[in-house]
Amino acid sequence: MNQEELNNRLTEIKDKLTAVEQPADNRIWLTCEAENSYEINKFLFEEVPLRFVIATGIDSDDCFEVLYHYAYDETGCMITLKANIGDREKPAIESIAPFLPGAEWIEREIHDILGIDFKNHPDMRRLILSDDWPEGVYPLRKDAEKPVSRPDGEPLTRPTVQSQSPARRTVPLSKPVVVVGPFHPLQEEMEFFQLSVDGEIVTDIDMRISYNHRGIEKISESLQFDQVPFLVSRICGICSASHPLAYVQAVEELAGIKPPERALYVRTIITELERIHSHILWVGLAGHFIGYDTVFMWAWKYREPVLDLLEEITGNRNNYGNVKVGGCREDVPNDLIPKILKELDGIEKKMEMITKAVLDDPVLHARLKGVGVLSKADAVKYAVTGPTARASGVAIDVRRDDPYAAYADLDWNVISQPEGDVFAKAVVRLLETFESIKIVRQALEKLPDGPVAAEVKEIPPGEAVGHVEAPRGETFHYVRSDGGNRPVRHKVRAPSFVNVPSFKASCIGGHIADVTITLAAVDPCYSCTERLAVVDNNKVIHDYDTLLQLSREKTARIRKEML
Amino acid sequence: MSVPLNVLFWIVVIPGTVVLGLLACWIVRKVSALVQWRVGPPLFQPFYDVVKLMGKEILVPQEAQKAVFMAAPLVGMAGVLLLSIMLWRVAFVPAKPFVGDIIVAIYLMVLPSLALILGSSASASPHAAVGTSREMKLVMGYELSLVLALIVVIIKTGGTLNLAEIAQHTTVFSISNMLAFLVALLCVQAKLGFVPFDIAEAETEVASGVLMEYSGALLAVWKLAHAIMLVALPLFLVIVFLGGFDVTFLTMVFRGTFEPTLIMPLVWSICKYVLVLVLLILIKNTNPRVRIDQAMKFFWVYCGVALVAAIILATIGKNFGVSWL
Repeated sequence: MNQEELNNRLTEIKDKLTAVEQPADNRIWLTCEAENSYEINKFLFEEVPLRFVIATGIDSDDCFEVLYHYAYDETGCMITLKANIGDREKPAIESIAPFLPGAEWIEREIHDILGIDFKNHPDMRRLILSDDWPEGVYPLRKDAEKPVSRPDGEPLTRPTVQSQSPARRTVPLSKPVVVVGPFHPLQEEMEFFQLSVDGEIVTDIDMRISYNHRGIEKISESLQFDQVPFLVSRICGICSASHPLAYVQAVEELAGIKPPERALYVRTIITELERIHSHILWVGLAGHFIGYDTVFMWAWKYREPVLDLLEEITGNRNNYGNVKVGGCREDVPNDLIPKILKELDGIEKKMEMITKAVLDDPVLHARLKGVGVLSKADAVKYAVTGPTARASGVAIDVRRDDPYAAYADLDWNVISQPEGDVFAKAVVRLLETFESIKIVRQALEKLPDGPVAAEVKEIPPGEAVGHVEAPRGETFHYVRSDGGNRPVRHKVRAPSFVNVPSFKASCIGGHIADVTITLAAVDPCYSCTERLAVVDNNKVIHDYDTLLQLSREKTARIRKEML
Repeated sequence: MSVPLNVLFWIVVIPGTVVLGLLACWIVRKVSALVQWRVGPPLFQPFYDVVKLMGKEILVPQEAQKAVFMAAPLVGMAGVLLLSIMLWRVAFVPAKPFVGDIIVAIYLMVLPSLALILGSSASASPHAAVGTSREMKLVMGYELSLVLALIVVIIKTGGTLNLAEIAQHTTVFSISNMLAFLVALLCVQAKLGFVPFDIAEAETEVASGVLMEYSGALLAVWKLAHAIMLVALPLFLVIVFLGGFDVTFLTMVFRGTFEPTLIMPLVWSICKYVLVLVLLILIKNTNPRVRIDQAMKFFWVYCGVALVAAIILATIGKNFGVSWL
């Protein structure tokens, strides 16, 4: 189906819509009333069919809006359905989770932060707000004030981490439960999985996240357009090039800015180097998760030169802060190119060794093949992205489907595997590393001369989406501007937010030993997933000035030591 | 050996074994670190760890069977200590054996695992429960292979059940003996809870499983027991499969005579021990953890087939006088 046929398909629901806009060939905005949203969503997801990306809840002045973002990957088209909810007192809308399990979490999230009720939702527990957050306070509403105390008068503290707290426990106590989290040696971040077990077999899984909220979306509304990239690069240390890039692309689309050619190539180089180090990082961690610590240490050693390269280009090993609206901050110096090429050769050789070792190891085959299978149908239902989708035979890749930066000019392949098991995910990641190396090499060869940033004056009112293929999958940003110098709404969807819920499909029925590696196989990133609610400790340990003072002192000290 | 000297000797054995165990612990960690391009711990780190744990509070879960939970590490420790004393006795005083001590050794080697199963199942923790069931299955898996491997040696040495005699009569370089040694090495790998058989502890799956609820001095005792196992189990392999552990030089020194020509056999024996230890470490560092059902299948099917072949070869070799079979 090409773009024209897609447009024709969409006219079938024309009478249920109140407005249709198509600002660009592959950007479609549909508007409807809340009552019709269920039917239209069902049509879009099941009939067309489109891939569900995420939903955004917005507090507009006179109403609430729920935006359902879809993607049609064959033409790279982004379709957004806007549902207006007029009732400000008791906002409610039909839930789409019954036929679209991938939307379950985001509806819970919107319920938490905006207080919109989703009718017929299968599981309306809190997702991201802590248990002691007061009822009826919705942090992302425009009139929200910071709550200072809980309903019982106790001061609000950090989220209570209680592994067996009754409010959070859904599995009956009579069943044996093995808990992974909130702190567990499996993963370095906070996560909480309750595995109901029958002997070694996992019969059910319940997930809790939200132990690490920073309120990025809320903070973003208070920052200027050019400050936001620094904020979003801190969503995740590993995807710290992808998040700002997705945001910047959304703003550039909104304002119609064309960054210079060289900037596009520099962006490509940085994001691909990021992918290389992220995939190697995963290989190491995966080794550690199945007790293969030698792979862990070796992989991380081989990852170091990539980080050094990134540091040499941008000044930082992570959190590069390199993209800005209209281009890049730091250029790839031409005299550094031979060194990068040389390092890439070394990395490629070492990755060849690791890939061969992994693909030929019979014990690894026994351990990873047929484990944690996510079928193609489930991958579509849970709307997973990135290597998780590609390992299940869903060959989607934003870089190819909706090319950004310089990807359209370069020659590379999308790697996909049909099996859906952990081994396939490992294969996809390992082979993708070689593709990334290929991309960086070509980009360095073709690197055009010229400036790396265009001048940007005003951001006009409007809205736009931007998405980028991060190492873990599609990173999606939605930005709305009212013509001022701050976004009025900025929605972030990290890939793990849709990849993590797919455990429900891939873990049940497996051994405990298999489930733990399956949990790790989507390369979950909880700090990405949990970026939203505002946690207020009400206790200032270091205020802004002392922190600034401290970091200045440390910088001075380091500088002195270096001289 | 005069009586006071004799007493002194046996007093030295236990602390000596503990010290050797901690040293072996350090070797394991250091060699692993080198394989993984890390620096590794300083020489005294295992010792510091135990001392630190000794000073920590012992936490006993509320619902635990307290007596069993507390006694289990001591039983396990007693088992490995007894085993190591028996093995040292075989090495130092081979002339005074007792018939059937290999059978006693087999029993003593199971004791730490049994104690671990008891202790962890008394701790009332779900993670430990998973670990317990895994440890039980693992014991059932490797015990059969270990006994079969020993039978190979017993056949080769003409039916003796005496460790000292086995040590002297084993034909090291024969196909059946090498097969049996390899399988026994893997069984020891499993007994030590090293990767790929660290299934019961599996840090990233069940968060130390069997040892999860142990803390403070009790955990230190487990660590010590493990350290002693690092001495006793490879030593057992050396005695049974690799032609014995020759310490005549040391016994001579105890008697007051210095015989330089006997240094070489001692050095050779230590080399054999280190070889076994390094083999264990290398296996540990070049494999991922297997699943419990895969481990059981491995021991019962693959090792079982190899051992049956070894037993047939050994029987043929013995009856027809072909020593290399």
